[in-house]
Amino acid sequence: MIQLFHVSKSFDGTSALTDITLKVEKGEFLFITGPSGAGKSTLLRIIFGSEAPTDGQIIIEGRNYFKIPPKEITHLRRRTGFVFQDFKLIPDRSVFENVALSLKVAGVNPREVKSRVLKMLSYVKLQHRANFKPPVLSGGEQQRVAIARALVKDPAIILADEPTGNLDPALSIETMELFKEVNNRGTTVIIASHDKNLIDRYGRRTVCLDAGRLAS
Amino acid sequence: MSMKASNMMYVLSDALRSIRANLITTIFTSLTLGFSLAIFALFLFVFINANAAIKSFGDRTRIIAYVKDNQAVDPEVLRKELLKIPGVGSAEYVSKDRALKELKDELKGHESILEGVDANPLPASFEIKLSDSFRDPSLISSAAQRLKALNWVEDIQWNREWVEKFSAFLRFIELAALIIGVFLGAATIFIISNTIRLTVYARKDEIEIMRLVGASTLFVKVPFFMEGALQGFLGGVLALLMLWAGQYLLLSNVPAYFRFVADVPFPAYVVFGFLVAAGVVMGVAGSLISMGKFLKV
Ligand SMILES: Nc1ncnc2c1ncn2[C@@H]1O[C@H](COP(=O)(O)OP(=O)(O)OP(=O)(O)O)[C@@H](O)[C@H]1O
Ligand SMILES: [Mg+2]
Repeated sequence: MIQLFHVSKSFDGTSALTDITLKVEKGEFLFITGPSGAGKSTLLRIIFGSEAPTDGQIIIEGRNYFKIPPKEITHLRRRTGFVFQDFKLIPDRSVFENVALSLKVAGVNPREVKSRVLKMLSYVKLQHRANFKPPVLSGGEQQRVAIARALVKDPAIILADEPTGNLDPALSIETMELFKEVNNRGTTVIIASHDKNLIDRYGRRTVCLDAGRLAS
Repeated sequence: MSMKASNMMYVLSDALRSIRANLITTIFTSLTLGFSLAIFALFLFVFINANAAIKSFGDRTRIIAYVKDNQAVDPEVLRKELLKIPGVGSAEYVSKDRALKELKDELKGHESILEGVDANPLPASFEIKLSDSFRDPSLISSAAQRLKALNWVEDIQWNREWVEKFSAFLRFIELAALIIGVFLGAATIFIISNTIRLTVYARKDEIEIMRLVGASTLFVKVPFFMEGALQGFLGGVLALLMLWAGQYLLLSNVPAYFRFVADVPFPAYVVFGFLVAAGVVMGVAGSLISMGKFLKV
């Protein structure tokens, strides 16, 4: 369902990704690992369509990404949950509003928004923080808001960039269970992480990036 | 542009929420808009009033054509002939008798000067006013030439030097006003657009995040559109209030003969419409243009 053919990306001449060919099946659970600066975030952003590759082809759900008009990018984003490494929460809106936003933009009715957001917040153990603004939350709490916002819309694809980077081991495991659960319901999950222990624990397919190239 | 009902409702409630959340910014932006528009309008009004006053002063440019003595033709026929000359707006006949009477009126108390003058020495004349388009000295001069060429005209008189100075002065005023107007207009647009750009810039992360979680550009734009319109509307209303206050202050502190400066040269609803429309257009266009590049995420 997600295919990359010889994808490269360079920023002002310095290359961040080189000749990446990768196929991810529908419903797969994939880890992307590799040292800092290897290009994990860049790869996720390219799959998400917020960064254009300098070279190569990307096909998602049978459609070539280059030829997708902006309007359809918007629709694809509604079907894709992204957990950003830097969270990207709106600082002056409550936790509830931040999570609700990803349903509201798709026009889900208010009663459904409320019940789904509250349920999702309880999954990530933040129901007591619903009316707080993100800046007063701890790093781990903010990360869980970002995860809740990505998962609440029941996306077809989850792209998670270091989703457990700020969580303690117990919370990390609980969060991974959440991802496993949505994966069991058919969602394709791609997680970038350099947490070797976590990756080993789940024993899923893992691709390793090193200096922008695929390594085995 | 089709949108579900719930979607439209979110967009509107989001706009209201955002206006409430950015109330201070909205107020300050509106004030900036108000002051800028008021200064520009004030300049425009004072210029229009002063220009009109100066021009009405200029209406005193006229040519006097003295009629040869012993002219037998009916003065009304001569007058019709004058009116056919290009540039002649009106012509008034002053007979010999009337000229003498006017002279006597002017000499009230010194009538002795005229003692011993038996026959009326004054010629009959036409007082000619040129039409509005004939203010330029060279045009006046050409009209004067034609008048002088008429065989029943003895001589003509007009104040060439004064007309030339006056018309140079008018040109200077108009040029100065144009330069000041361009500077002021550019400053107004620059201040307003920069103010709006900064308020949008302060929210660029919010715009980007909304796009990243799947908001359509319309969804993101509507709140900014509404805020821009609100700021523009408030700015226009504030400008109007400032102008009224300014007019009141002028009228109560300026001598009566100078009050024309504080006249508003347009009907009130035109001023209101102009200020509010200018405010709304700048507010909306400023917001939408400023946010354009942040939408491309
Ligand atoms: N917008 C950009 N402009 C310039 N260089 C960039 C940009 N984004 C990424 N890079 C560079 O591309 C390389 C890969 O960055 P990326 O963020 O994908 O690494 P990463 O594997 O996610 O690292 P980490 O584990 O630290 O998050 C880095 O060298 C980075 O400096
Ligand atoms: Mg990264």
